[in-house]
Amino acid sequence: MNILEINQLYKAFGRKQVLNGLDMAVPEGSIFGFVGRNGAGKTTTMKIVLGLLKADRGTVTVCGEEVSYGATKTNRHIGYLPDVPEFYGYMRPREYLQLCGEIAGLPSKHIGERSDELLSLVGLGDANRKIRGFSGGMKQRLGIAQALMGEPRLLICDEPTSALDPLGRRQILDILFSLKSRTTVVFSTHILSDVERICDRVAVLEGGRLVLSGTIAQIRKRNRSNSYCLRFSSSSTAREFAGSLKLQWPAVKMDREGSTLVITTEDQNGGRVLIDLLAAKQVVPESFEVMEPSLESLFAEVVQ
Amino acid sequence: MIHFVVFFKKETKESIRTYALLIMAVVFAVLGIMNPLVAKLTPELIPKLMPEGINITMPEPSSLDSWSQFFKNIQQMGLVVTMLVFSGSLPNEVAKGTLINLLTKGLSRRAVIFAKYAAMAAIWTLSMAISLVVTWTYTIYFFPDGKAQHVLLAAFWLWTFGAFLLAVMLCAATLVVSSYGSLLISGAAVVTLMILNVIPAVQKYNPLSLAGRNMDLVTGNIGPASLVPALIITLVAIPLLILLAAQKFAKKQL
Repeated sequence: MNILEINQLYKAFGRKQVLNGLDMAVPEGSIFGFVGRNGAGKTTTMKIVLGLLKADRGTVTVCGEEVSYGATKTNRHIGYLPDVPEFYGYMRPREYLQLCGEIAGLPSKHIGERSDELLSLVGLGDANRKIRGFSGGMKQRLGIAQALMGEPRLLICDEPTSALDPLGRRQILDILFSLKSRTTVVFSTHILSDVERICDRVAVLEGGRLVLSGTIAQIRKRNRSNSYCLRFSSSSTAREFAGSLKLQWPAVKMDREGSTLVITTEDQNGGRVLIDLLAAKQVVPESFEVMEPSLESLFAEVVQ
Repeated sequence: MIHFVVFFKKETKESIRTYALLIMAVVFAVLGIMNPLVAKLTPELIPKLMPEGINITMPEPSSLDSWSQFFKNIQQMGLVVTMLVFSGSLPNEVAKGTLINLLTKGLSRRAVIFAKYAAMAAIWTLSMAISLVVTWTYTIYFFPDGKAQHVLLAAFWLWTFGAFLLAVMLCAATLVVSSYGSLLISGAAVVTLMILNVIPAVQKYNPLSLAGRNMDLVTGNIGPASLVPALIITLVAIPLLILLAAQKFAKKQL
């Protein structure tokens, strides 16, 4: 089942068409990376999903219910972490979560337990000073805690890691990854390594619509080129093997760097040919790798 | 309803922790003490400040002088401080984005408006009550002459005008982005009412009269029933303004 569905969404700010017929579906239980350049419309999309912005055209459904602008009914399914979460500086984290819990309509005896649980999940169990004195990373973590307060089925995070130092980023990613069994996570980012690290699905927004989407494995497979990386024990073995390959297969493209050989062919059966040749020459490479395209190269390709 | 209560509690906590309540209470208490004191001391001070040889005979101060100070101070200083304290309440939250977390948890936008108004009105009421009680106590102590009439009603008029002005400001805050914008619109509204007040036939209906004719009532120049039309108009306008604010806010892109 899709927990979030977006159909033919259009939105313009003045003359600038930000969303241009966006279609997107997020299946339940996934960690969904929503990737795009700065200004591609990621935040706009999320705000429309939350009913904070009005779409010019198109529909959004959350858990099968249609989102209507200005109303907040579907938001009971959603936890939202804004890119820069803002809190009431005069409150302490527990007080703030109390407020959130009351708004989300949790039973009062449940709120205390849940606050403690979430604060220790995000590593703020001992932080009992006023939020005013929190660092960016602490605010981001408290942001995750508040987003999870209402036990949402869908957690939407807007660039949760982009303003953090490497350590803070890793903590946030670990927290998000640990939520996998509990809730569906959609997070927008322009940091592709974050997506590769925790997401199982990814969608790339460009020009107001998705230009690439699917599971990471699918995308990699679909865009796999016939490239192989062979590493030999010495550069002389590599040179020898390259030479004999060239004789047998003049059309092949080869790059050699020391003892490593990168071979690209048009032939779907290129791998088998290589193995046959290795067997014939009685050469055992140290490693034999089918090269997968990195998300970064795919991203660069689709946003061109 | 639950959201209203929750958000009202938050507003109350906010006004305590950000000292808004304290500022209001102190300013109004100080005004309350000053009113009778100024009335009492002015006639004694003025002759002493005059050069020697000039004799000024001041009329004996009465409770009317004290109440005249009260209404003048609250109309000016009191209302200005109130507006300044509350002008940022909604615009700051919208600009900073502190409402986003709560609205995305299902907090109703109406509840935000209603609770904000209720909290402002409660603090305005409390502050006026403090000032009124203090002035009243000292006035009875200094000037037990019983000249002042209908003080409570005159104060109620002024309270109503203050409540009206807060509603105007909240409504303005849903239309503009900054607290200066909402202050500017409220100021423009007052100026418009002043201009309208030039026309004698309008005065009876003008909310501004509720903050201008108070001493006329206390001295007995006008009767208690004379501003009933303005009172009714203002008391009807307040809920309408709040509903309008709620409607505008519900459709605001955040």
